[in-house]
Amino acid sequence: MNNVLEINNLSKKYPGVQALDKVSLAVETGSTFGLLGPNGSGKTTTLGIVLDVLKASEGNFSWFGQPLSRATKRRIGAILETPNFYPYLNATQNLKIVADIKNVNHAAIDPVLEMVDLLARRHSLFKGFSLGMKQRLALGAALLGDPEVLVLDEPTNGLDPEGIAEVRELIKKVAGQGKTIIMASHLLDEVQKVCTHMAVLQKGKLKMCGRVDTVLNQHDQVIISADSLEKAHAFLQQHPGVKQIQKENTELHLTLTEGFSSADLNQALFAQGIVLSQLTLRKKSLESQFLNIIREPKTTAI
Amino acid sequence: MMQYFTTELRKLVPYRTFWLFILLYMGLLVLLLFSASSVQINNQAIGENMYVFPNIWSTLTYIASNFNLLLGILLITLITDEYTFRTIRQQVIDGLFRSDLILNKFLVVLFIGVVCTFFVLGVGLGFGVKYTPALTLEKIVSGSMHVVYYLVQALGYMSIAVFFAYLIRRNGLAIIAYLVYTKIMEPLIHWQIPDELDKYFPMKVLSSLTPMPGKEVLETITGVSDQLSPQQAVLPALGYIFLFYLLSYGLLKSRDL
Repeated sequence: MNNVLEINNLSKKYPGVQALDKVSLAVETGSTFGLLGPNGSGKTTTLGIVLDVLKASEGNFSWFGQPLSRATKRRIGAILETPNFYPYLNATQNLKIVADIKNVNHAAIDPVLEMVDLLARRHSLFKGFSLGMKQRLALGAALLGDPEVLVLDEPTNGLDPEGIAEVRELIKKVAGQGKTIIMASHLLDEVQKVCTHMAVLQKGKLKMCGRVDTVLNQHDQVIISADSLEKAHAFLQQHPGVKQIQKENTELHLTLTEGFSSADLNQALFAQGIVLSQLTLRKKSLESQFLNIIREPKTTAI
Repeated sequence: MMQYFTTELRKLVPYRTFWLFILLYMGLLVLLLFSASSVQINNQAIGENMYVFPNIWSTLTYIASNFNLLLGILLITLITDEYTFRTIRQQVIDGLFRSDLILNKFLVVLFIGVVCTFFVLGVGLGFGVKYTPALTLEKIVSGSMHVVYYLVQALGYMSIAVFFAYLIRRNGLAIIAYLVYTKIMEPLIHWQIPDELDKYFPMKVLSSLTPMPGKEVLETITGVSDQLSPQQAVLPALGYIFLFYLLSYGLLKSRDL
């Protein structure tokens, strides 16, 4: 599989802060990649470096297997942090400047404005726009020239629920055209709804990187109860299939290792003469997965 | 290159601040010329002596040189705007490299410099024709080299401003630093250092391009000061312009945006 973006050992040091600490990851062509992490975890720093705005202290990256060049930049449409436009120019005038830089015909401007629902406001000054309109104009600018990759930094930040839904629809639509999307977000829900792949950053370190569905299936919890709970507890503590065990009143909360299913567990206990009165599989929400990943001391590769 | 220039024009032409500065420059220059023309020295209006060809060229470029700071402040505003609006970031994301940013602003400097020089040329022709009794083409052309020296000077003032804008990145502070350097720091240094040396300092080189008319008369009172002639000052001035762009590029290259 071809990678759109490869990052190797990227570090960024600010005075007194290690904003990014040896991060390596790859984004596959055609995936929707979510960069997830709490505020200040290094998401924007990572995007800022690969977009040529920030200087890496260490490490390197490549787009489409090549170093950054005018040609590679034109294949990427990106928004970093805030929508950046000239406040005294209107929407069309602003997009003309972007189109010039991207070497895109001005005829492409109106269709893009139409797409982000700003065609009717194209002669209004940028400074009079609401936050949602500014965000949509930035999205429109990123879409100019039909780039293969879209890089979005917190694309729904500051939008009302309707705006959020619209932006997500737009992202899905673009992803449906086979484009690669890389988005940073601190909203788990957003990544879960939109992304196929994800990476989790915390304090500048990469905590996890993989497919969203794999992450979601990981660390499911099994709850059991039995008459001879003490015996079960003692047995399971020795068992290699059980990763974690926690006693809660008359129940045991278990985390199983990979490849060891709840059926295997039931069978193993039955062989020991322990009959379960309850066996429940509880799917963890992305939220608790996320908290789990962040709590774990070492990087988990999936 | 032409594409870059039209893109810069798209930012400039609708920008009111740009027009405000240009009109201020033009208006103040003409106003000063008009009001100075009737000042009497030795029972003779200045205009009758200073505004005739070829004297008009040195008089005019000397007066215009006082308004170069206005052009410098305009450039600082245009560049720090890109930081305030964060459009400098977006342009690098969208496809430009730091060298393009410097080149673009040089094109703006060149454009403003040429526009103002043509304005000075037009004003010079107008006043000269009005005040010179017996016009000949030779009279008009002689001394018009001063207009070229003025162009170099205007480019120099703006190039120093470009450097301060990239160095400080904030409008107010950059303007203060620029004024403090050009109007206070360098003159103070000139006081401390012998003329043979300080005549090569940036501001002194630039001011040598448009020497004060009647300086010889003044020097009989204050003593001769060692200064480059306009011809001699052109090369060092161009050297400084190049240097300030090089420094600006170094700043951009080494920093985050």
